[in-house]
Amino acid sequence: MRRLTGPGRPHPALYLFCLPAVALYVVFFVVPTLQAVQYATTDWDGFSPDFERVGADNLVKLATGGDSLFTTALTNNLKFLLVVVVLQTMLSLGLALMLLRTTRASVFLRSVYFLPTILSSVSVAFVWRFVYDPNVGPVNTALGAIGLDGLRSGFLGNPDQAIYWVALTQVWAHAGQLMVIFIAGLQQIPEDLYEAARLDGAGRWQQFRHVTWPLVAPTTTIVVAYTTIQSFKAFDLILGLGGNPPRRSLDILSTRVYTTFTNAEFGYAAAQSLLFMVIILAVTLLQRRTLKLTQRGA
Amino acid sequence: MPSRHLPITLDRRGLLGLMGASGLAYAATACAGPGSTSGGGGTAPTGGSATDTISFAHWRAEDQQVFDAIIKGFAGANADAGVEQDISPSQDYQSSAIQRLRGGEVGDAFTAFRGAQFEDMVSAGVFADLSQQDFVSAYSDRFLPVGQQDGTQYGLPYQVVFLMPIYNVDLFEKAGVSELPRDWDGFLALCETLRSADVTPIAWPGGDAGNAAQLFNSMTMNNAPSEDFGTRIEAGELKCTDDWFLKTLSQYAELAPYMQDNATGSAPEPLQQLFAEQKAGMLATGSYNIAAARALGAEFAMDLVSPITTTAAEARFEGVHNATFILGVNGASEKQETAVAWLEHLSDPEVAGEYANGTAQHVTVEGVEYTNPDLERIEPWLSRNTALAPRYQFLDLDVEAAVEAACVAVVGGQSPEQAAEEAQKIVDEQIG
Repeated sequence: MRRLTGPGRPHPALYLFCLPAVALYVVFFVVPTLQAVQYATTDWDGFSPDFERVGADNLVKLATGGDSLFTTALTNNLKFLLVVVVLQTMLSLGLALMLLRTTRASVFLRSVYFLPTILSSVSVAFVWRFVYDPNVGPVNTALGAIGLDGLRSGFLGNPDQAIYWVALTQVWAHAGQLMVIFIAGLQQIPEDLYEAARLDGAGRWQQFRHVTWPLVAPTTTIVVAYTTIQSFKAFDLILGLGGNPPRRSLDILSTRVYTTFTNAEFGYAAAQSLLFMVIILAVTLLQRRTLKLTQRGA
Repeated sequence: MPSRHLPITLDRRGLLGLMGASGLAYAATACAGPGSTSGGGGTAPTGGSATDTISFAHWRAEDQQVFDAIIKGFAGANADAGVEQDISPSQDYQSSAIQRLRGGEVGDAFTAFRGAQFEDMVSAGVFADLSQQDFVSAYSDRFLPVGQQDGTQYGLPYQVVFLMPIYNVDLFEKAGVSELPRDWDGFLALCETLRSADVTPIAWPGGDAGNAAQLFNSMTMNNAPSEDFGTRIEAGELKCTDDWFLKTLSQYAELAPYMQDNATGSAPEPLQQLFAEQKAGMLATGSYNIAAARALGAEFAMDLVSPITTTAAEARFEGVHNATFILGVNGASEKQETAVAWLEHLSDPEVAGEYANGTAQHVTVEGVEYTNPDLERIEPWLSRNTALAPRYQFLDLDVEAAVEAACVAVVGGQSPEQAAEEAQKIVDEQIG
């Protein structure tokens, strides 16, 4: 007979402690996910008692580029992701390095840079909607005042630039938050290593490359993964800046799924949600791998 | 103390258990599968008494105080009854009202937008049938069909708005405009006259899809081959690449130089300010912005003008109206008698007048006396030959957005042909 207790084996009663968490996970994640799979194979509109089973048609249409609105949203999202991940990580790491030492000035500046984080995305969106207004916004007004009218932009009204301006707003809003995470990570690096590097004649750049960068890797991984997921979920910022539904040049995956739900295409929106989940997973795994390789190279 | 590693292994029994649990979860999801619930519908009761406190769901936060006053009057006449307003922002209401109302917990009485939302709500059984209610006769026959489907009166459109540019009468007079244009050449000449007077002829909020598309109503009403062109585009009978739509897009391109700089990125609020400060002659949104301009300090007279995109002889319509804010009784509500009484109260011409003059909106109830000076000024438009706003014919929001976005793209510099092709590509994908 198999032993239930003894060295190396937990008491069976201990498994009961997992039950509440497992139940919550099943109710709030497993069941909705399975429901989404089920809905994704239908043409249900979200309220009618009748629907047709369409098999994998919805997913096939999305995966084969049969829906250019979804493809555009994906492209916009990847552009947004790239700009936000690169700029936000660099900026927050740069700020963290500059403000690492605890002085009165650095504590004050940390607070200043962190401030946008505590604002709601909708407030941020409305502030930046004013900033980006082509006629009364401060940027174009300032450019006009110094005679640089040629550089005045339509900002969000320019379909080639719009998504990058939103990305810039996202970076402004969240760089301070990630700076704090980087500061915590940088403070874990032993000072001895820098001393040893300096004794070996390493300059500032070499210290960063061979000490800071490899040792801040776990923090960077967290920051990049967090920023990636954040970039896919920049829903309220987009709606605040671009209206509901946003125009095509500002549409990202989360807003596209929402618009499809609103358009009484529940089954199709569920298929989009599933693909959305797979894309986030793939991008996050790819990033983790790239980051590991980069830091191993350092 | 060193931690002891407890390996987690999955034996056959465990695997079977996991599969069983997954199967149960899937079965549970199947029980709550698509189409397994349905809305109420049915016929609203007649001759009941108002004895409950009901929820009234709508999207017009700006009307809250006026409704509060009307609710006081309702409660005064029905001692046991009350109304609580459940207000959502208009975009949220457009997106999620149907899901919130279906259960009947909120919105015993409610409102709907004309078009896709009304159609969907009727299909979902959210609207109870109001055909038997006596107070339906209080409404103008011209607007009642907006709340009908297959001959049944499900809702009562309450507001009438004119979705065509508003203009500064004083500024037009100062610029020497003595008569409003009756054709396209005349409209371009008007714009030129205003530009010569050193004002922006047309303030157009191209950065806000909803407001930007109001001009679409005027631009298409006379160009389109039929009044139901939106329905026909969705049916594949008309295309964005057809001559009439290309002509419309070309006319948008002709208007672009008369709009403020970078018009495709402009939000509505700064343009309301521009208009209120008399720096723009026209605000190309609708009569609903008159109150906003007044709130910003505009003291000049305002009226409505629609671009006529054809010759005077070819024009079928002078302008555009929309009948919306469709009142309904929730088919899933358990307080339908009070909800019906509330709608009856709103249908009283005196109460409708209180609403109209308090909110600066015309209403569809007949016999209302308008005392608000702006409403009085544009009251003649209620009986003029105006088209029912065509953009609300679209039932597919992606199709509507694609067609309207083509107009914005042209103002932004894209060629009409390319914009039309891109729009049609999306339409084709959507209607499949």
